[in-house]
Order: sequence, then structure tokens, then C-alpha cells
Amino acid sequence: MLLAQQIFNGLVVGSVYALFALGFTLVFGVLHVLNLGHGAIFMSGAFVGLYCMVGLGLGFPAALALGALSAAMLSVVLDYFAFRPLRKRKAPEFSAIISSMGAGLVITSIAQRLSDTQVWRYPFDSFPIVVYELFGLRVMLLQVVIMLSVALILAALWVLMFRTAVGRQIRAVAISERTASLLGCNPAFVHFVVFAVSGALAGIAGILIGLAFNSVHFLMGEPYMLRAFVVIVLGGLGSVAGAVIAGLLLGVVQTLTVAYISSAWADAIVFSLLFVTLLVRPSGFFGTLRIERRVARL
Amino acid sequence: VDYPLLNLILLNCLLALSQFIVLRAGVFSVATAGLTACGAYTAALLVVKLSVPAPVAIICGVLAGAGFGLLLAVPLARVRGVVTAIATLAFVVIVQAACLNATPITGGAAGLNGIPKLLNTPTLVILVGLVVYLIFNLNRSGLGRAFETIRQDETVAVSFGIPVARLHALAFGLSGAVAGLGGGLMAFHNYSLVPEEFGFGMLVNLLAAVVIGGGSSVWGPLVGATFLTALPEVARPLAENRAIITGVLLMASIVYLPLGLVDTIFLAMRRGRAAKLNQSEAAKRRLPAKEQA
Repeated sequence: MLLAQQIFNGLVVGSVYALFALGFTLVFGVLHVLNLGHGAIFMSGAFVGLYCMVGLGLGFPAALALGALSAAMLSVVLDYFAFRPLRKRKAPEFSAIISSMGAGLVITSIAQRLSDTQVWRYPFDSFPIVVYELFGLRVMLLQVVIMLSVALILAALWVLMFRTAVGRQIRAVAISERTASLLGCNPAFVHFVVFAVSGALAGIAGILIGLAFNSVHFLMGEPYMLRAFVVIVLGGLGSVAGAVIAGLLLGVVQTLTVAYISSAWADAIVFSLLFVTLLVRPSGFFGTLRIERRVARL
Repeated sequence: VDYPLLNLILLNCLLALSQFIVLRAGVFSVATAGLTACGAYTAALLVVKLSVPAPVAIICGVLAGAGFGLLLAVPLARVRGVVTAIATLAFVVIVQAACLNATPITGGAAGLNGIPKLLNTPTLVILVGLVVYLIFNLNRSGLGRAFETIRQDETVAVSFGIPVARLHALAFGLSGAVAGLGGGLMAFHNYSLVPEEFGFGMLVNLLAAVVIGGGSSVWGPLVGATFLTALPEVARPLAENRAIITGVLLMASIVYLPLGLVDTIFLAMRRGRAAKLNQSEAAKRRLPAKEQA
């Protein structure tokens, strides 16, 4: 039963990993760049959410919406300054990684200034602590809310991507920006939507993580971004379904490692998973085989 | 004679050179921070626990860095670009976690203390000079040209019969050796080693040094590392905002100076010389015409 409980806890954490990694993989899938500022946007969402609930006294749904909105805006601004000039120049992928790294550094430092390098916490009773017994599992209300929010957002994202005109445009631009623009898609609009959605996903993930661990600080984005790397390599770069499955899997693996092996070595084990994936199947376990330019086998 | 700031600059130059070597070969690896940790802990542990003489320990550090670099090249032979960056980042995290958690050996979060300070500025200048000399020549040799070809277009490199996988492994090994040397020297300069040093922050700073300085001539990383290390020391008020400045510089230089400081200047100089040459040749051609008139 303990094992089942741990697996359930892992799934809750994993669903937030999946949410975070989804935004990451979305940007990669459409623009083929790695957004290293994603962790900083996640952190900004967590701060805004906490400020809304504690500072402004808003309810959880309003805080979630405002956090997502502000993170989406920040993400669009980041795109404007860090990626747009490089896209115009058709710079190599290396440049995008460097400039988003710089943007992330700037956002993190500003957050450090604004928060006085302090860890912000929710007051004890800001989220009702209710525990349900379900099939012998201890299920907290917060966990239910997290799972439900993630499920709802995933459903909304699926509708957006596969059932709307905007989604069709996004998928078209992901396949070939040039062809899509010849057929009447506006790539600038698609980039705007993709960054807004990816930022909103990161912001919501930030609020949920901030609530779940009751700790919000300016460096909180970094470990999540590093885990998102593992998630997207495991799931296949740019694969949405892969990111969800791999995110859940990573949450379970990590929780089980902490519970049964050692919390200190959890990081090392999680990141070794990444190397195993690269050795066994470099294109990820759930993604479609991407044809990489790999020519030399000597 | 010992100048702490100069020592710091020289050490950072060494590490930036290690980052430079891999980028030069077209491998987007950010493993340098992890490889430096391997070299630093190897050298320090040999001296502290086994009282090996320091020069031998530093050589072992170099070998450890090179060994781990070569080892890393095996799984990464199959991937390119972004995935290499992610995987080497994971390597840095794994090494950091290992240093942090192997408390009986490495001292864990409290750090490895009691390392003798054996390094002075002249030794450091000589060693860094030697490495710069080696890399400078390597850059201009056939091997350097092969690296350049791989960086520009791997398909072309293969069609020329350049053994890409083997050269990538060599680049990892060389980068690891330089990082190991840098790490070993760091150990004998700082009195102690803390795992936090070898993390994301170091990685960003080294990348920034190469990007801001320029990645195709040896002078680029040297100028970049010197600039980034000296700037907060020279202008004290900037030290507090160090991270913001590094971030803004990174974005600005990759957007406006994609070649980096040094390479842009070199390019401008070469263009200037070419223009002058064209002018003088045009003048020569014009001269006979005038004489006829």
C-alpha cells in the first residue's frame, strides 16, 4: 500500500513536470529552439500567484489565471527580445540557447532583487487541508486540485492544437514555416501564440509547485528546467504526448528513488536516466523518429 | 609576487579555453564545469588524503579531466546540437550531485578543506601561456582546419574523409584535459573546493566568456574571460548586479555581435586591409592613365 501511495504522490508531482515540460517542448517543436528562460518564467508565475493569493487576497482560481497571464506576457516579451532578432537573422540554434540563457539570468536577477533573496511562503491556512481516503490511499485536496488542473489544461491544450484554426496554423508552422506562410499563415502570430501558451503553462506549473511545496524563491526554476530536459529527451524532443508520459514517469521514478533509495542521490539517478536514453534511443522513447543530420559513423 | 585578481583571470581564461575547444570543433558541449570538478577533486584528494606531490596530483587531474571527457564522448557520438547541450548539462548536474553527496570522500556541501595553497602568479602565467601557445598552434594546424570544417558543415567534413566521430572524441578529451588542469590549479589556489562552484553559474560564465569574446580565434575566450572577471572587480557597484550584466551582455552580444568582440575586430581589420589594398591597386592602375593624359 505504501508503494501505491508513493506512486500516486509521484504521479501528482509528475503531472506538474509534464505541464512545465509541455511549454518547453511546444517551443522546441514549433521554433526548433531551446528556451532556457523557461525556468525563470515558471518562477515568475509562482511569485505572481503567491502575491495574488497572499498580498491581494484573491482566490485560487483568480490567482491561477493572473499568474498564467503574467507568465504568458513575460514569455512573449522574452521572445521579443531574445529570439525575434535571431529569427530575423536566421541565426544557428546555438545563438538562441545563449540569448535565452541571458534572458533567464536577467529575469532571475530581477526576481532576486524584488524578493530580497527571501523564500516566500503561503500562510498556513491559505489552502484548506482536507484529506480523503480513496481505495486506501491518502489523497489531499491540494493533490486533487493539482491533478484536476493539469488534466483540464491538457484537455484545453489538445482542443487548441487539434480542433481550432490557430492550432492548425501552429502545426503547419512547426512542419515548415516557409510553406505555412506561403499558404497564408502569419508566422509572427503563431510565434506569439506559442510563446504565450508556453509561458502560461510554465506560470501555472509554478503556482502549483509553489503551493505543493509551500516555498517560492528566485532560484526555484533551475531544478525544474533541468528535469524538463530529462523529460523532453525521454519523451522525444518536440513530442507533446511524449512530454506528458515522460513527465509522469519522471515524477514516479523520482518519488520512488527518494522513498526507497536516497533523496540525496535522486538527482544523479534521474539524470543518469537521460544518458541511458541517449545510449539506447537518442530520439526518445515516445517521440516519432526525427531524422537528424547524423552522417559520421566511424 | 601574487596578484589575486590576475590569478582569478588566468584561471577563468583556462576554463574558457576548455569551453572554446569543444565549440570550435562544432560540439555544443557545456561539460567544462563538470570536467573541471573532476580535475579539481582528483588533484585535491590526491594531495590531501594520499599526500601525493602537487605536480603529480595536477597531472592526475589533467588525466582525470581528459578521461572523463573521452568517456562522455562515447554516448554523445550519436547526438548533435541541442541534445548534446542537454546531455552535457546533465553530466554537470550528475558530477555536482556526486561531489555533494559523497561526503566521506569529498567533504560534501561543507567542501573539501585544508588544501595547501601552492600557486603563485608566475607559475600560473607560465602554465596558461603554455596552454594558449598549444591551442593557438593547434588552431592553425591541419587538425584545427578539420575542426573548422566539421563546425561549418559536417556533411562536407565527412565527404573530405575527416573522421568526425574520432575528432569529436578528441575535442572532448582535449577540452577535458584543459578543464582538468584548470580545476587542479583552482584547487591549489582556493584552499578549499565547494561543489556549488562547479554548477550552472560556472557553466553560464564560461559560455558567456566565449560568446562575448568570440569563438574562432584563441584570443576570443581570453578577452571574454578577462572582461567578465575584471569588470565587477574594477567597477565595484557593478559587482552586485553581476548576473544581470552577464545576462544583458550575453543577449546583446549574440544579437548585435554574433562573432564576438575579438573576431569582429579581426574581421574589420582584415576588411580594412583589403580595402586599402584595393585602393592602392586601383591607384596604380589609374596612375599610368594620368601620365598618358
